[in-house]
Amino acid sequence: MAPSSKPIPLTYILLAAVAIHLPLMLMQLPLKSYDTNFHIFFASHYVHHWFDPWNTKWFAGFSQTTYPPMPQQWVALLSWILGLNMAYMAVQLAAILLLVVGMYRFARLWVGPRAASFAALATVLLGSESFLVYSAGQLSTTVAAPLYLNALPFFFDWLRYGNWRSFLKAAVLLVAAAAAHHATLLFGSAFFALPVVALVLFDSKEDAESPATSTSALVIRLVSIAVVVGLAIAVTLLPYWIGLIRYPITQTPIPHASRANYLLSPEIGINYFIVPYGALILALPFVVIRGARIPRLRPLLLGFWLCFLVGLGGTTQVGSILLGRAFEVLTFERFSYWATLLALPIVGLIISEAINRFRLKAVIPIALVAASGCALAMAWSTIHPPDAANFDVTNVALWLNRDGHDKYRYVTLGFGSKLSRLAILTDADSVDGESNSSRMLPELTKYGGAALTSSKYFAKPGLDSLRAILNHADRYGLKWVLVKDSYYDPLLYFAGWRPVDQLDDKTITIWGKDGVPPAVPMNAAQKPAAWQGLLWGTLPIGFSFLAILVIFIPERRPRGFRDDVTREDYAGSFNDPAVSGEVIS
Amino acid sequence: MNKGTLLALSITVLTILLIASGTIWPVPAAVAFAGGAKKDMIGASSTPQRAVDDLGTEIRLRDWNKAYSSLANKAEFTQDQFLHDLSGHSLSLRTYATLDGFEVQPLHQSADAAEVNMKLRWSTVVGTFVDTRDLHVVKTSGHWAVEWPIVQEQHVPPQVIAVNYLRWDVISSGSGDDWGAQDVESPHVRIVDMHPVNRADGVVILGELLNEDIIPAYVSVRAALVGKNGATLDSEGSFDMIDHTLLPKQVTPFVINFPGIDLTQVASIRMDPVSVLVSASADPVVEVQNQTYNPAPNASLTGQLSNQSGQTVNVAHVISSFYDKNGQLVWVAGQYIDRALHPQTPVPFRIPVPEDLAKNINSERTVIATYSTGSSL
Repeated sequence: MAPSSKPIPLTYILLAAVAIHLPLMLMQLPLKSYDTNFHIFFASHYVHHWFDPWNTKWFAGFSQTTYPPMPQQWVALLSWILGLNMAYMAVQLAAILLLVVGMYRFARLWVGPRAASFAALATVLLGSESFLVYSAGQLSTTVAAPLYLNALPFFFDWLRYGNWRSFLKAAVLLVAAAAAHHATLLFGSAFFALPVVALVLFDSKEDAESPATSTSALVIRLVSIAVVVGLAIAVTLLPYWIGLIRYPITQTPIPHASRANYLLSPEIGINYFIVPYGALILALPFVVIRGARIPRLRPLLLGFWLCFLVGLGGTTQVGSILLGRAFEVLTFERFSYWATLLALPIVGLIISEAINRFRLKAVIPIALVAASGCALAMAWSTIHPPDAANFDVTNVALWLNRDGHDKYRYVTLGFGSKLSRLAILTDADSVDGESNSSRMLPELTKYGGAALTSSKYFAKPGLDSLRAILNHADRYGLKWVLVKDSYYDPLLYFAGWRPVDQLDDKTITIWGKDGVPPAVPMNAAQKPAAWQGLLWGTLPIGFSFLAILVIFIPERRPRGFRDDVTREDYAGSFNDPAVSGEVIS
Repeated sequence: MNKGTLLALSITVLTILLIASGTIWPVPAAVAFAGGAKKDMIGASSTPQRAVDDLGTEIRLRDWNKAYSSLANKAEFTQDQFLHDLSGHSLSLRTYATLDGFEVQPLHQSADAAEVNMKLRWSTVVGTFVDTRDLHVVKTSGHWAVEWPIVQEQHVPPQVIAVNYLRWDVISSGSGDDWGAQDVESPHVRIVDMHPVNRADGVVILGELLNEDIIPAYVSVRAALVGKNGATLDSEGSFDMIDHTLLPKQVTPFVINFPGIDLTQVASIRMDPVSVLVSASADPVVEVQNQTYNPAPNASLTGQLSNQSGQTVNVAHVISSFYDKNGQLVWVAGQYIDRALHPQTPVPFRIPVPEDLAKNINSERTVIATYSTGSSL
């Protein structure tokens, strides 16, 4: 019997994604991750102050224009129906589904529909995706990447054929991706877009059936889309750029475990390499061999390889050399995520070939290994929880909200990511927060510690920062310190705080300082102008709506060349059966 | 060899080389996560300094098994005793201290033995302390290993200690009272001495605060520097450089730092002592024994703290005032004690004094602030 060349219908793959991820979303598993509460906190502000990004609840006042808003704004919109938590889950699930479609479309640039469908299916079980969703809670990265992947085929069409519809779609999707996460676009340009440009050049030379693209035309098209998208991003995220120019990020770098050498620190290597790559580790040699042997896949292979090396953090010196000072600021789990996305088209091809050749003997082990890798990544937030203890902060919020306690600012110690959850629930303001790039208080930026609530994990820099802010308690109206970890008690005692109350079976102690004046508004100079708030509340979300609209403009040209399908398949790709869910007969 | 094979081979070889290079010569961020020094990738310690470096790295990573196993004299004590030496037997600053860094200074070396000085900088919640050890390193079986100079905490035999101390309780008017918002007059406190000095890193205000009342007071002092144009230059508080709990008629020294400000900029100083009535007790009583002022060079005040009570003091803060021959306050300095104060077990302290002030010092007075777990609320 001849091997099958049928792709898995995209509808089936989407159903598989729903079957695997929907129950976990309904269980709200991402709430256990590092950053989910942070995104929900930002969204909660947009719920109440859509056009005013100035948020007084953290850092004695900060601007949310320091972080691209689109995914959080979607959470805020949906929260009117679903509530904040489930709205977050809905947006996250949409991103997972969008990744399936994006990967299929991106993979079709490089491989045939069957291999592309395996690549799309692989995203459902991808360890790095599950790691970012369930352990890291990186909503913005996981929303931006699929938008970017969906934009790239249109980008290819524009460069290759000069198709204006594709230009429009690519531009809108790229801006929407930037509105979700600017770093994805910045680094995606190097790792994702450059291989696509190389592919255009390759196809132009090798594909005799399509008109060649002259170098001058390619350059003009490339520059034109770069200029248009660049300008659109500049305007869409203008408040972000204004803030960055006025207050450049000069704070002392904060240590992050993803910058470790994964061999010298193997426990970190498990977190940042074994878990995200999962089953893909077994496929890496085949990715290199197969990617190198097929000339058309070589740009993709090189993009993957470079991203893979950077994603290894401090295991090689590549990241440090390429990124310079940015190496001390960026975190590298997202590079590993992008690397796995870049590898998937080749992985899809390998799976397709293996199944064609070995049938069930290939299907069973591949499925088992992929499912195991996915399960490990999903379970990682339970095996290796971001917070040592899961606890409810409702009583703490109630305490802060009563008897005028919210006239003063507070900090938490030992609350981990519950800091964001508490900020959602309470009316009181804090001098602490979880958005490192948003903080302006010198006590927080000078020393190299992250959130004060976790200061002990940053050793001397973190504790120096904590001591500095406590020393200036009067200045910030900082009267309350909410302590979940008695490690900090000696400092509070000797620094002049005294315990005033205990909550939740004495697991949380509230310390107060006498003589502290009530909090007054601060950091007014950093407050964005009203027009910036209007822009921030309109354009980023507006581009996401526009992206949804333009995607329905019908296509006219086929894209890419597939080396594992026949010319007939190539000609027939205009009405792609996999996309429509039909099965080729 | 075709192009594809060559490319695959090149990528594989380059990746291996890059990883090997990144492991042999790791970037600074990776070094920090690996314990502050490159881990031994090639085998046993080849020099005395390397042996001490490796031990420091293992301590920094809290890899007690490996650190203990590497010691040449591990037969002389158990791993628990080694751990208690480093992190304390009872809850103390050492218990949760993290090794921020260490310095190794070779002193002497022969073919099979060496003397090495090791300074361990521990980071704690209240600040950093330095633990200095002179290590004897010996060559055994072709590699160097450290003989750890174990410091074992003394333990007094079980006994009953009768306590007879003063204690003041405060009855609040209701459970809804906000702490600090009391319906009683604040205890009377007074600044009995205040002396601004110009130091290299800014203005320092030294002073002493007296509780004149017959009730205990929880105190702190704030100060504001006013410039020549009448504007406030900066305002700071005494933070932890004061004993916040004052019994009746008790005096505490205090220090307020104003970094980055020169005294010539200052026209006046506003002092603002704050006092609140609190429950307090005279227990635990900590006695200062053998207090000795050691003049320059390396001027310091040394002595021993002895806990006269029956309960363990987990953290003690020694704050000393230094006076000239006229009885004028010339300096205030403090030191946290990194080990717990067990009953009747003396623990040494050493407070360094700036060399430029050392010659003026004629007398000194020391107060001890104490923290015991579970006694705070």
